[in-house]
Amino acid sequence: MQNRPKSLQGPLSPRLSVYHWHVAMVASIAHRASGLALILFVPLYLWLLRGMTGSEDNFELVSVWLHSGLGKFSIWLVGVSLVYHFCNGIRFLTIDAGWGDSMDSMRLSARVVLAIAAAAALLLAVML
Amino acid sequence: MKVNKEPGSAHSGLSDWYWQRLSAVVLALLLPLPFFLLVAVYTGSVDQQGLLDILDHVISRLLHTILILGLIIHAYVGLKVILEDYVHTIAWRVPLIGAMLVMMATFGVWWLAIIWAWI
Repeated sequence: MQNRPKSLQGPLSPRLSVYHWHVAMVASIAHRASGLALILFVPLYLWLLRGMTGSEDNFELVSVWLHSGLGKFSIWLVGVSLVYHFCNGIRFLTIDAGWGDSMDSMRLSARVVLAIAAAAALLLAVML
Repeated sequence: MKVNKEPGSAHSGLSDWYWQRLSAVVLALLLPLPFFLLVAVYTGSVDQQGLLDILDHVISRLLHTILILGLIIHAYVGLKVILEDYVHTIAWRVPLIGAMLVMMATFGVWWLAIIWAWI
């Protein structure tokens, strides 16, 4: 900790109760939240995959479920999470590579990534 | 570029950091594919026979296997880092990470079994 300037004291990871909200922190938290959503989708996906590769009745059942409200919401949620996690992941990789790692460009790229996710959310909501 | 000498709450980060990025590149290339396939089934542009033809192909089985390995590494490191950040009691942290690893291994094997049609 002695290497960090006084103004940066506090937890290293995004912490809702300590940090003031700003866009780069939102991007970081949303990365964790979308990652968690993607992990939780895996068991559901396996159930779907098992159904889709099973008998014709199983396939029909999965198809009906996918078109139900809960099914549509699941596809929407995993789609938005995937788009966000994908784009912000590439953002993190470029920042790690030392490209665009100034405060200003990190905030700008965070806005861009969040805007892409919002657009994907709208688009998927219309399409499904 | 600033050099961060604070190792974070895991007290050694290079290995996690490295694996997280390596698996991220693998997932960036492969993870969209099953999502597109799911949407294709949803919209009806791929029927069951079409889906089976795609899934049973040896290339998609191999890609799926690589995807599962990458996903387990990425999800494991990601959740581990989150747990290490927010769970400070070692007595909670270690069993939680262990339970997570067991669950992921179970789902990984189940997934492989579906893809390679063992069950």
